[in-house]
Amino acid sequence: MKIIYPVLYLFVFSLICDGNPSVSFNHEVLPILSKQGCSQGSCHGSPHGKGHFRLSLRAFDPSLDSHTIFREELGRRINPIEPEKSLLLLKPTMAISHEGGERLKPDGFAYKLLREWIREGCPTPEEESQCIKLEITPGESKLLKWPDFSLQLSARATFSDGSSRDVTRLSVFTTSDENVAVVDASGKVSGNNRGQVAILVRYLEQVQSIHITLSRKPEGFTWKAPPPVNYIDEKVYAKLRLLHYPPSPLISDATFLRRIHLDLTGLLPRTEVVRDFLSNETPDKRSQLIESLLDSPDYAKYWARKWGDLLRLSRKQVGEGAVYKFADWLERSIATNQPYDDFARDLLTAKGSSLLNPEANFIRTTINAEDAMESTSQLFLGSRIQCAKCHNHPFERWTQDNYYGLTAFFARTKTKKLGKSGETFIWNAKEGEVRHPVTGTHLPPWVPDSGAFEMPPNKDRRQVFAEWLTKPGNPFFARVEVNRIWAALMGVGIVEPFDDFRDTNPPSNEPLLEALSRDFVKSGFDRRHLIRIIVNSNVYQTSGESNEFNRDDTRFFSFRQPRRLEAEQLVDALGQVTGKPMKFHGVPVSVKAVHLPAPDLLKRNRSMIGDVEFLKVFGQPERQTVCSCERAGDAGLGQALQLFNGKLFHGMLTAGDSLFRKSLSAGKTLPDIVENLHLSALSRFPNEKEQAIALTYLEKATDKGKALEDLCWAILNRNEFLFNH
Amino acid sequence: MKLFPPFFTACLLGHLVHADPVSFSKDLAPILLTKCQSCHGPKKAKGKYRVDTYARAVSKGAGDHPGFTPRNLDESEVYYRLTTDDKDERMPSEGDPLTGEQIALFKLWIQEGSKFDGEKDASLASIIPPPVHPKSPERYPSRIPIQALAYGADGAELFVGGYHEITVWNPKDGELLRRIGNVGQRVYAIDLSPDGRLMAVACGAPGLYGEVRVMDTANGKLLDVLARTPDVALDARFSPDGAKLATASTDGRIRVFEKHEQAWEIFRKFANHSDWVNAVAWSSDGKRLASASRDKTAKVFDLESGKRIVTFSGHSGSVNGVAFHPDGKQVYSTSEDKLLALWKIEDGKKIRDVHRFGAGAHKILSHGESLFISSNDKIAYEYSLKEGRQQHQFTGHEDWTLSIAFDSLNKRVASSGFNGRIHIWNHPDAKAIHSFFALPGFSSVDSANN
Repeated sequence: MKIIYPVLYLFVFSLICDGNPSVSFNHEVLPILSKQGCSQGSCHGSPHGKGHFRLSLRAFDPSLDSHTIFREELGRRINPIEPEKSLLLLKPTMAISHEGGERLKPDGFAYKLLREWIREGCPTPEEESQCIKLEITPGESKLLKWPDFSLQLSARATFSDGSSRDVTRLSVFTTSDENVAVVDASGKVSGNNRGQVAILVRYLEQVQSIHITLSRKPEGFTWKAPPPVNYIDEKVYAKLRLLHYPPSPLISDATFLRRIHLDLTGLLPRTEVVRDFLSNETPDKRSQLIESLLDSPDYAKYWARKWGDLLRLSRKQVGEGAVYKFADWLERSIATNQPYDDFARDLLTAKGSSLLNPEANFIRTTINAEDAMESTSQLFLGSRIQCAKCHNHPFERWTQDNYYGLTAFFARTKTKKLGKSGETFIWNAKEGEVRHPVTGTHLPPWVPDSGAFEMPPNKDRRQVFAEWLTKPGNPFFARVEVNRIWAALMGVGIVEPFDDFRDTNPPSNEPLLEALSRDFVKSGFDRRHLIRIIVNSNVYQTSGESNEFNRDDTRFFSFRQPRRLEAEQLVDALGQVTGKPMKFHGVPVSVKAVHLPAPDLLKRNRSMIGDVEFLKVFGQPERQTVCSCERAGDAGLGQALQLFNGKLFHGMLTAGDSLFRKSLSAGKTLPDIVENLHLSALSRFPNEKEQAIALTYLEKATDKGKALEDLCWAILNRNEFLFNH
Repeated sequence: MKLFPPFFTACLLGHLVHADPVSFSKDLAPILLTKCQSCHGPKKAKGKYRVDTYARAVSKGAGDHPGFTPRNLDESEVYYRLTTDDKDERMPSEGDPLTGEQIALFKLWIQEGSKFDGEKDASLASIIPPPVHPKSPERYPSRIPIQALAYGADGAELFVGGYHEITVWNPKDGELLRRIGNVGQRVYAIDLSPDGRLMAVACGAPGLYGEVRVMDTANGKLLDVLARTPDVALDARFSPDGAKLATASTDGRIRVFEKHEQAWEIFRKFANHSDWVNAVAWSSDGKRLASASRDKTAKVFDLESGKRIVTFSGHSGSVNGVAFHPDGKQVYSTSEDKLLALWKIEDGKKIRDVHRFGAGAHKILSHGESLFISSNDKIAYEYSLKEGRQQHQFTGHEDWTLSIAFDSLNKRVASSGFNGRIHIWNHPDAKAIHSFFALPGFSSVDSANN
């Protein structure tokens, strides 16, 4: 800072004495008001302003702001005779109490700039050049090695008149992760921990980001990793090595068996499957198991359910009749390994009856063109574009024009309810445009990267969009699906949240995402191929336990992030261990929770509320949005209570015909029953200690059935059971 | 207190002990007003505690202790809040703590028994001794908007609102005749008493203080300071008989003062508006007052009973000016919504929109049989008071016109602009006579083209 201040003085001084005496309202004053937070949405940038002082949100309306600051209320905010006595300076320096707190320091750059502008009589030229480019030094990415964890960024703007200038002091800097690195108002980055971070730089309407990797070698660290099995291991290990996170060891057969079953089918392996697999001595038995699971109906059902979550597949959204048909359609798509591009085209271009063409239910669940576009963006472009509906996106390059340009693709999509219950008809109208809410003009269809679209006349706009989307070179399409599948298998996306792609949320391992996407496109959008290559990698088969060197890694895959079982997985697992599976309304009794076509098949029924409650408490989504965030993975008191003595759990444990009671009455020995409980719940044999504790307890007990309930309760409350690890 | 070495504190206290006792009005009220009142005042009362009067400041908020307990620092919540090291509890909650000197004043005052030297329920702004205002700049370094104009009784002088002063000009040639200082930072209205001997000036500094000063027109001697508020005063008008003075302030109050031998005493106070009162006007019989407010309403009050008679809600923007129709049954009002409206006192219903300006319009000057109105559309207008017919447009301002004055004797109209320039017009034909910047010493390089 000591070095910078004199430079600043010179800068301000030069403004006064130079041939170019004027402070620029558009290029300096407004960015400063934005940078100091004055025009942010919670302060004077809110629709009604604060304290009768209203600025446009992040200064997007310069002429309004100039009027407000200089003229409104008869110029009360400005004192041109004694500039430092202007309300505009007295309030934010807290010389007069200011609810927004201290925003300016009288000796700071921002204060001096504003004061100088006021001294000059608040010049606000009507025509000023536009900023057309923002460049960040040192570029798009940078590696910092401990102990050099700091970096001074600078920003340079180029204007439409060809001029350019340094705007570091006028730009807003924000960090994507304060744990890793912070950035101050002058653009100086200071690293806190090793990892990766994006620094966003905003000046006027221009947004840029720089990705910074911070690497620090811990004491006593040595790199050790098994030989890579495929390119996934190579890319992940390269990153881990750079950041000094050694991978945890590979997992045992038992852990692998449990993990792969849960991830591919949502179900625990049955007792006999565990026994077989553990005694199988074929060297490539893991790969063989993967193949057989990928070919199983359970895989298709479970992965269809994942899409059901995203496509709002519920009775409420698509009606009773379409629920089963749409669920079947999804299952068939997975079972036949329909190429993903084909799958997306089917959903996006569907027409006709929602009962005859179940894929049309995606469009059916959207309320209007804007909703259809927002859902499509989130699902297939990985973009949460909603903010741009009302104003330019504050953190991204999305503008309001982009929002309505994209919406134009869906402007001619019409839906109509038909007489038959739950049937909706979808078609394309010949006409229909999207009107920009501010300018009132019709916006032509627009796509990111290519800009406004030359629309062939009479061509189905959705068709055109789908063709653009699924072209092999599309920069979003493959990456979003690759990341979604990766996150489903690894617990954390390469981009996380995994459906929120943006400059400020960079992938934790770009080469990995890039390699996977290329492979995915090359395979013809073969989802099964992608899953196969991931689960065969070392990275997938790495332990869920961390070590002293990788403990704080949450994003780079040095160890597996354990996840709580999903609501449906848990219900099915409890059912399998106790032999008392939960039964559901509207489907055959054999249907498992992970195979339910929709969460709301059961009409509200008070007597059943305890059971439905269990799934809700553990995060089963209602499928009201296309956001994967609707499925809650967190823990809560309600869950603890359910697992302590909730109605469903208690009923399963105390049933007279539970699996362990039946074994008992069939004359099975206690060691056998204990062993089976472990195989069934934990997919492994009990160790000696577990066996001894269990048997001591059981043998002492007079009521063996009750004692087994206790043992079972204890096992089912272990994290090893409750987690996919 | 950490910033304050004990030695220095001792010296300071020693110094203070020998001085006069700490005065609540003089020493503490200004601090409470500028540092505390925006969160603990009539608009917001955080922690259910307010400081806007002495009575409230010493009362209890949501906390355990009253704001101040005489001779007991431990049970004075304010003192604790000012001095605690706990960042979550320290006041002011945003920004720097008070200076050691300021805190020492509070301490001493509590130790001296928290005595009060004024009217307990009076607002802080009104009990602080009136300030002696700083001198005006010899030469104005830049333009200021001119919002107040008035002709002297014989039309030989034009009184203009300046910066901490009233400047007096010869309207014939734009020569600066004299300067009347010790006035609030900005002047929002100048009104001369009917006999021309007194001058009322509504003034203040935005966000800091407001007041109405009554002065001797001839020599500028300060006679009284009235209607002191925490933000500017916007209007002041003498009654037709000159015995009363009505003021309009940003605290939403209208105050009416009555002339007594020594001073002006408060006669009525109307707190009916929920936002700034921009202007007031007297009925010709002096029995009624009309008001215009930023709360988008205009109101009429009866002075005898002290009651509100009617509210007019027909404007969609801040109401900036009002004037009575000569029949006493109708009122004109101007607004940010660009309209000059005429409405009935009887039921508050609009009769008609008399005119739609090109932009928002300001105060109405009612003079003789005419209404004069200035507007942000850069034009000044004249209407016949009775029929509301447009008589003249005074066209030629380069910027918003803010204020207007009429000299019936010499048939001259003066109007002032946002850019500090005054135009003098010949009344009968609305022809421009000349113009000048009413800004002492201001040399505008570009004044030729502006």
